[in-house]
Amino acid sequence: MLKKLVGGILFTTFTFSQTTVNPQFSVIGDLVMDHLHKDPSLLTSGIEIAVQGYVNPFARADIYLHKHNDDSPIELEEAVMTIERGLPFGLGLRAGKFRPDLGKINQSHAHLFPFIEVPAGMAKILGEEFWSATGVETNVFLPLPWYSNFSLGYFDSGISSHDYSDYEKDEDDHDHENDHKDKDDHNHDDEKDHGREKQTNAFSIRWSHFFELNNVNHLELGLSGYSGKAEQILGADFKYKWRPNKYRSLTLQAEVLQHSLEDEYMEKAVHPDEKLTVAYAMVNFQFNKAYNFGVLIDYWSLGLADDEGMNPSIFFGFSPVEESAVLRLKIGQLERENDEKNHKKYLKTTIQIIWSLGPHKPHRY
Amino acid sequence: MRTLIIIMSMISFLFGKVRIVTSTTDIADIAKIIGGDHVTVTSIARGNQDPHYVEILPSYMLKVRKADIYFMVGMELDLWAQQIIDGSRNRKVLIVDCSVGINKMEVPTGQIDASMGDIHRFGNPHYWLDPENGKLIARMVAEKLINHDSKNADQYQANLTQFEKDLDSAISIWTKRFSNLKDKDIIFYHNSWPYFSKRFGLKTVDFLEPKPMITPSPSKLNQVIQKIKSDGIEVIASESYFSDRAPKFIASKTKVKTVKLAQSVGAIESADSYINLFETNLTILAKAYGVSYD
Ligand SMILES: [Zn+2]
Repeated sequence: MLKKLVGGILFTTFTFSQTTVNPQFSVIGDLVMDHLHKDPSLLTSGIEIAVQGYVNPFARADIYLHKHNDDSPIELEEAVMTIERGLPFGLGLRAGKFRPDLGKINQSHAHLFPFIEVPAGMAKILGEEFWSATGVETNVFLPLPWYSNFSLGYFDSGISSHDYSDYEKDEDDHDHENDHKDKDDHNHDDEKDHGREKQTNAFSIRWSHFFELNNVNHLELGLSGYSGKAEQILGADFKYKWRPNKYRSLTLQAEVLQHSLEDEYMEKAVHPDEKLTVAYAMVNFQFNKAYNFGVLIDYWSLGLADDEGMNPSIFFGFSPVEESAVLRLKIGQLERENDEKNHKKYLKTTIQIIWSLGPHKPHRY
Repeated sequence: MRTLIIIMSMISFLFGKVRIVTSTTDIADIAKIIGGDHVTVTSIARGNQDPHYVEILPSYMLKVRKADIYFMVGMELDLWAQQIIDGSRNRKVLIVDCSVGINKMEVPTGQIDASMGDIHRFGNPHYWLDPENGKLIARMVAEKLINHDSKNADQYQANLTQFEKDLDSAISIWTKRFSNLKDKDIIFYHNSWPYFSKRFGLKTVDFLEPKPMITPSPSKLNQVIQKIKSDGIEVIASESYFSDRAPKFIASKTKVKTVKLAQSVGAIESADSYINLFETNLTILAKAYGVSYD
């Protein structure tokens, strides 16, 4: 029902948009290699196509398509209409398929991460490609002296309908050619499971704050919540940025999510009171126009099962020509599960080359 | 009771004002002059910030939330303004593009693409650096204020007339005092100065940026060094927000003088108003060339 309604809204807006100014097209291409692969198959490499434009003075439409570098079909990452001005009571609205306002990292596109890949802990809850769902979300500024935004969303598919198998496969044999095949298989599963997916309607809420401490210091704080079919997530996030001039900045960012599991996690039985806690903390220093360097700590734990993992990594970025091409390097610890509670640790080096055409860029200062 | 009256009058005082937000400090300063006591004015970008790239902070949206009029620079310089206005949820704000009546320079002809650098496809947007264009901005501001707040129309009209008079006399004094700058060769960091150079007769011979918004490359720097040596160019001027590294490097290899100019009101301390912006920049240049300006 919701899908139909939202689809209808999108359809009308997109046909309407043809009568106005042309939308903007952007393409972001990336190439990722890591040394653990004997054959440097190009992992998550692929392209993202963004089409963005104003539908009318008050509504914007953003469509993101992703094509992996394999035989898999083009995926629709997001197709969302955003209304920021024009609704009563200063309400904002998003409708379509998009990344809900849950936590900080779920909303950002992976090519903006200075640390190349999704932090593994976060992926355990949000999925490798993060939570994107079809639904509607409304938000409002609270009448406070600082920027304080409250959002509430309703979606037709919850996080648990996310693809964990992908992730598990990744951990098990780390063979990405299989990985993509697996993804194809999963698409069929999706259709089969459609009934189940429909049941897992989900709500998300977020309350975020932004403080401009002074011209060069900014602080962001957020609290998030999620409620799906008999599962809950609570989250808190923090970002501090010091930016004394055009090209220098220091960013500290941390986020924690806690997932109350039902009785099963990644197809294994767990205690009904089990909670999965995941977190990351990042420091990123942009020391001049072209270079940045940082540290990421990635964490997860299953409280009752007394199982946890923590993986540090360092990363480095180089963008020679403004924001249009970025080279990133990450050296980090990687854990793989050998058997129950036995994590083998590896060192993994990952290189990413990312480029863009058009206004949607891989990197923001 | 008395406090209540004071509070009430303060409220009516605040609410009676036209709330103006501008993209840059130059338009803000002009709006303050035209609006006088009847307006409150906030600029999103600070004077020493690069107006091409302004990081969109949620707190900026809060500044626009209750605004009556938003004045943009336009010509795609402040594309970021649209996102701030959208994010503000303010559906009543009047958005005004100040570049509408400007006689635009360097409008590209033919196909443009990213290989040409971050080119401004509607022409060079740094038009406020010609004081004659300051008058056009002021007329735009006055027109919108008169429409919005007609009860104070006479005041706005009077302020505009006074501002035009002040600017006219300043321009005629500047062109006399700084006539020694005429036909001086100059190298700029970024192409922010064609309107300024045209007004005051400077001859732009090169830029440190090989292409607009592209960081100076070693080969470009060498090329500039050769040009300075062969043509005897005396001054490199950069916008206040750029790093000193490239100009200082060239200065270490040649006899060129390097200066920083105020690209906007507030970029340099003495450039604290629209009129002082020109006074400051012209004085800095006259000193750098060692010419008299009295
Ligand atoms: Zn420019």
